[in-house]
Amino acid sequence: MKIMTAAQLPDLLSAIAEEMAGHEEELCAMDAKMGDGDLGLTMKKGFGALPAVAASLEHKDLGKDLMTCGMRMSSVIPSTMGFLMSSGFMGGGKAIAGTTEMTGENYAKFLHGFANGIIRRGKCQPGDRTILDALDAAAAAAEKTIQDHPSAGFDETAAAAADGAKAGADATIHMRPKFGKAAVHEQQADGTRDQGAVAGMYLVQAIRNYACRF
Amino acid sequence: MKKIINKPEEYTDDMLRGIYAAHKGEVRYVNDDLRCYCTCEKVPGKVAIVTGGGTGHLPLFLGYVGKGLLDGCGVGSVFQSPSPEQIYQISRAVENGAGVLYLYGNYTGDIMTFDMAAEMCDMDDIPVKSIVGADDVCSGRPEVRRGVAGIFYMYKAAGAKAAEMGSLEEVYAAAEKAKINTRTVGFALTPCIIPEVGKPNFTLGENEMAMGMGIHGEPGVWNGPLKTSAELAEESLGTILKDMPLDQGDEVSVLINGLGATSLEEQYILCGDVMHILEQKGIRVYRTYVGEYATSMEMAGASISLCRVDDEMKKYLDYPVNTPFVKCF
Repeated sequence: MKIMTAAQLPDLLSAIAEEMAGHEEELCAMDAKMGDGDLGLTMKKGFGALPAVAASLEHKDLGKDLMTCGMRMSSVIPSTMGFLMSSGFMGGGKAIAGTTEMTGENYAKFLHGFANGIIRRGKCQPGDRTILDALDAAAAAAEKTIQDHPSAGFDETAAAAADGAKAGADATIHMRPKFGKAAVHEQQADGTRDQGAVAGMYLVQAIRNYACRF
Repeated sequence: MKKIINKPEEYTDDMLRGIYAAHKGEVRYVNDDLRCYCTCEKVPGKVAIVTGGGTGHLPLFLGYVGKGLLDGCGVGSVFQSPSPEQIYQISRAVENGAGVLYLYGNYTGDIMTFDMAAEMCDMDDIPVKSIVGADDVCSGRPEVRRGVAGIFYMYKAAGAKAAEMGSLEEVYAAAEKAKINTRTVGFALTPCIIPEVGKPNFTLGENEMAMGMGIHGEPGVWNGPLKTSAELAEESLGTILKDMPLDQGDEVSVLINGLGATSLEEQYILCGDVMHILEQKGIRVYRTYVGEYATSMEMAGASISLCRVDDEMKKYLDYPVNTPFVKCF
């Protein structure tokens, strides 16, 4: 689809929730090596709650609806990752406040706002081996697409963003963790991708799959 | 663990049910959520003040919601932050068209919570300003200090200014003035038990105490043999005055706060020792508060707060307040 309407947000969130649930065990296994081992579980739970939230909204402002969903996530999964995802959605939603349609350009703005939301609340920077590495690369790829083709649709932009997210997540293989329990297990991090970045990559890929489905 | 409860996991909600039952007409909850605690009184054009934090500190935080003080409070589980949604819904319910001041303690989880709620309010064109209490001298350099009992003075100043129909900027400035002029030092004699955990959050020997410990059992500056009240008063005031030097003739308000299991008698013993030292130093005392203002469940111990006052601060302290938990006329 070249454009997604605000009314389609519950559908998009269902698709993301399905994708996250499919990666539950993998994310938990990655997380178990570095942290609590519950990342897959919390992602499934957090995203699983969102379609119903979105369905209850008025669909008059896509940005605000995304913010409301983001805020709910922090209530459902009050963990560090929950707060980062939540901050991302709120930052992204805020960046496109007042719009009713997800165009390619708006999606690039959303991803940029998403990355900034994580930076603002998580006090992290690209290269710190966090979810930001996937989202920042996704935002850069989406922005480049819009710069090169200002009329690029949601689908085309989402496809470029997904490739960017994968490259961003892959790049974390050689990054040293600076935060949380991962920093304590620094040795074990070498040679593997950051689990948060992988979760971020699945999010951006799920959005691509949805945008390119129709 | 010996506590008068039903189920540990219902500790917070059962407590709230009791409070709403006892103080009908004074306080209510919104959004069908017991933890969205609000005053029943709406004053058009008044700046609304919202606070929030974990359960386990009564009368902090919700006890300060009422006339002359605050308008709403997000209630978290024991020692846990409320959610951004709760703060947002409370803000919508209590705002009176003049903006909202978020006034809460300097803790990471609470900061994230209130910042997210502020972003949502921004979407609704509700102006929000935020300020955190950070009065605990023993918890590091000023920017990272935890908020403890001294937040009382910020509540008093901001609450009075809002009741006088000050603007959001003026209410913020009143809170900031109290913040700049308030310091606290606390110490613990025994730990407390979080109901859902069921055992003490740290241990102290029979004759051991912890100087500078936080109200969630955060480590302090030293653990060692129990000191006398006079020695504690001297050491605590020394720490405070080193951080906030006062001259002979300066005037302060004194807050002696019990942490939960320390008797009022002991609090007054400590108070006497504090007043004696201040008198020797020629520091005048305007108002003295003794009692439980910010507790840590059934922890034994106390804190001493000083708030430097001028005519403006005195006026804020004199302003009458009336909540189910705090009454000064």
